[in-house]
Amino acid sequence: MKRVVPLIIFSSILFLLFTSVALGQVQTRLRVIRASNVGSNVDASLRDVHKDLGSLFSFTSYRLLRDENLNLSPNQPVSISAREGRIIIEITLVGLHRSVSELKIRVTREGKDTLNTQIRLSPGRTVLIGGPKVRDGVIIYALSANF
Amino acid sequence: MKYSCSSISRLKEKYFDQEATDKEKLLVENHLQDCAACQDALKSMEELRALIKSPVEEALQKEDFPWVWQNIERKIRLQEKQPWWQSIRSWLDISPLFKRKVWIPAAATAAVLLFITTQIIFKNTSSYPDASVVEYVESETNNVMVYDLEKAKVTVIWLFEGSEEEALPS
Repeated sequence: MKRVVPLIIFSSILFLLFTSVALGQVQTRLRVIRASNVGSNVDASLRDVHKDLGSLFSFTSYRLLRDENLNLSPNQPVSISAREGRIIIEITLVGLHRSVSELKIRVTREGKDTLNTQIRLSPGRTVLIGGPKVRDGVIIYALSANF
Repeated sequence: MKYSCSSISRLKEKYFDQEATDKEKLLVENHLQDCAACQDALKSMEELRALIKSPVEEALQKEDFPWVWQNIERKIRLQEKQPWWQSIRSWLDISPLFKRKVWIPAAATAAVLLFITTQIIFKNTSSYPDASVVEYVESETNNVMVYDLEKAKVTVIWLFEGSEEEALPS
């Protein structure tokens, strides 16, 4: 019994720590899109993006390259690459307040920083980060809260 | 060395009850070889044991032990169940965890650790205005546009690489 009591206390502390960290996780959806003027195909899952960007840009084709559900933990960067690793987006959860998550985003091309930003993402809101050029178009990242 | 009957009498009882050590057994057996009185006494004790043993064994055979145990079990089951609060109270009394009050420092430690951890992880937890989605944006090499489509709840951050500006309609 003498050995069991400290074991119970230790596991309780570990459990509390684990749950506090687990509760701090944020689920975010990231879609990596290639927009171009080659062809006129718009993937069914990208109709919202096409509609939103239609008034700003004249791309005729939207193709979904990756659709990821990211489990972001505080201060732990998650990287997603496009164009065989030449363009990388790195997302870090830096803050969480009720239903608003604060994300630090870094876009690099061939190891060089091209964009650094910090955004506040809330449920129902989408942030589109676009512009990095690829051979026949541009890369667009669509970030939306999944919590 | 010869022992008198009185000095051997205690050992004799142990010998009779089969509780004597090997050395004691040897002493008693040596004495019995030469002492007829002690031989008779031992014989009488054995007869007396046989006399008592047989009626006890008969009585035991008559007694139905499983039935007695069934009765006891039934009485235990019939006992009124403790209410839940009394069960908790008795558990708290029995549990060494609460008896020693170890849980007080343990709970305090856990609470402090939890508080520190959450403070470290989420130090920027002041209330945010809903309007500003982009806190900052920077690019050393290219122009960047930030555009809010409030109707659709969409924010666009666009990086202009090279001669892409012509993609903008107006």
